[in-house]
Amino acid sequence: MSDARILDRGYRRFEGTRSGVIGAMRSVAWHTARSILGLGRTARHKVFPIIVMVIAFVPAIAFVAISVLLKGFGDELRPDYWEFFQYSFVATIVFVALVAPEAIVRDRRDGMFALYLSTPLSRLTYVVAKVVAVLSTMALVVLGPPVLWFLGYTFQSQGPDGLLGWLGVAARLLVAGLVICAVYTAVSLGVASMTSRRAFASIAVVFVVVGGAIVTDLLVNVAERSESWRVLDPLGLALEVAPRLFGDRSDDFRAVGTWQVALGCLGWAGSGVGLLTLSFRGRAAV
Amino acid sequence: MADVRVSPVRHDGAVAVITASELTMQFGSSLALDDLKLSIETGVTGLVGANGAGKTTLMSIVLGLRAPTRGTVRVLGLDPSVAGAEIRALVGYGPERNVFPDEMPASDFVKHMAEVRGMPRAEARGRASDALWLVGLGEERFRPLGTMSTGQRQRVKLAQALAADPSLVLLDEPTDGLDPVQRDEMLALIRQISDEYQIDVLLSSHLLEEVERICDHVVALDHGRLVAHGRLDALTGHDDGVTVELVDVADQPDALTNVVAALEAVGLVVRRDGQTGRIDVLGADVDHVADAVRDACADAQARVARIVRRRRRLEDIFEAGSR
Repeated sequence: MSDARILDRGYRRFEGTRSGVIGAMRSVAWHTARSILGLGRTARHKVFPIIVMVIAFVPAIAFVAISVLLKGFGDELRPDYWEFFQYSFVATIVFVALVAPEAIVRDRRDGMFALYLSTPLSRLTYVVAKVVAVLSTMALVVLGPPVLWFLGYTFQSQGPDGLLGWLGVAARLLVAGLVICAVYTAVSLGVASMTSRRAFASIAVVFVVVGGAIVTDLLVNVAERSESWRVLDPLGLALEVAPRLFGDRSDDFRAVGTWQVALGCLGWAGSGVGLLTLSFRGRAAV
Repeated sequence: MADVRVSPVRHDGAVAVITASELTMQFGSSLALDDLKLSIETGVTGLVGANGAGKTTLMSIVLGLRAPTRGTVRVLGLDPSVAGAEIRALVGYGPERNVFPDEMPASDFVKHMAEVRGMPRAEARGRASDALWLVGLGEERFRPLGTMSTGQRQRVKLAQALAADPSLVLLDEPTDGLDPVQRDEMLALIRQISDEYQIDVLLSSHLLEEVERICDHVVALDHGRLVAHGRLDALTGHDDGVTVELVDVADQPDALTNVVAALEAVGLVVRRDGQTGRIDVLGADVDHVADAVRDACADAQARVARIVRRRRRLEDIFEAGSR
């Protein structure tokens, strides 16, 4: 039998240093990221995150595995670096519409938002923590597969030549991924902040992002309006950042200027953040 | 944004936990708080008033979530309008709303709130467990919140307010939805927190009776005005007349009615306390009133449990102040 015994336990005073606003933001961001990914939650909350990850990573894993097993096979089909992002497009839509809204909708529904405001957090720092959480988890979906793809090529000696060339491609992939994440996060959270029901939030996000693409297509291809109208398509516009960084253009956006792409991305990100800020500004705390 | 170093010790060493002067809050044409001047001391303080009295507005100003239209307020020696985050790190808050993430185990929820209020991660886990044991949910701490009863959820709310070792706890209707036994336990727990751990408590309630039972001080608001404020024992000092409690005896069912009738027959004003055996007999000459009560009880063959000098009740003070 062990001689161990509990000498003292129970509620006691804390004499250490408190982490303040930064600690509060870190805690909320970490908690939200775990929640989005379904970690520490019941099985039904893990379904969408798992589906998203499978859809996002399977093409990259499959392509890298095939190229490793069958050396030289499919070299002629090898995509450009910027095209890596297009393979996780479906996963990104599912994440933007079905997973990301959970980050803020849930807090409104279960009263956590009001409780958070009784802590060192303010409305602004709360929103920043949520944005960081969604941005980080979305980066797994948007940046994860291209990074895997890129590293796979590198280890097979099929990557860029020289260290500088490698760093240049890596930096452009990173910047493109972050811009895509920023635009999608802003749009997803901005739209989702208008409701406290997850289903409505998802429908609204789908309506904006998919609806934007459909309306744009109708305007340009059916009504034969200017190609500049494509900036109204938030999904395609953000993805267009990748080819522009690699000095290329996708077919759909060939007639759209790079400055229009940049301004369009800024506009969508700004609108999303503005909507998010406005939505939380007047919300009652205590 | 730099980390904020805050101390759990009161910054100015003063006895007053919250002070306010000329505190006014106006929403459009509606005056939520009207020129409040108050000083809330250490211990348990009851913040009482009907819905719309200004209790929630006062709490939101104390937490630094609203800036007053006019006047000043200090909480733990700090100004909420410039040190709101520091104050909120030192203040635990238990909301009235009884909804939380249903699937989350109580221990995870309390730990998370402790971290958000500034506890290091490793410390937060231990403190969450300790706080849940303190409120009597030690064995239940891994249960999801959605499976808990109203009483258990009220205790979890208290635990999350305590886990980060606050200097002051604000509790909004902490007995809401509890049955009488659960209510007694919750009130005892709140008293224990103040007595054993020297955590000051501001308890917002519309139930005057529970404030009378556990509070050291009272702040009574009515339509934003301060109608009473101070130590409870000073406010509820001796009043004219006596309070009589009779023992309920099965073979004397009309004893109380007969006593009341006899007292009223000699010109005394009698107030009955609902269906209980307690009556208040009003009269400036206490000795005369006590003699009359003794005679009436003897004539009615009523068994007296207690005759004491009448004290003013919080309800009387509140009514007098509201006029």
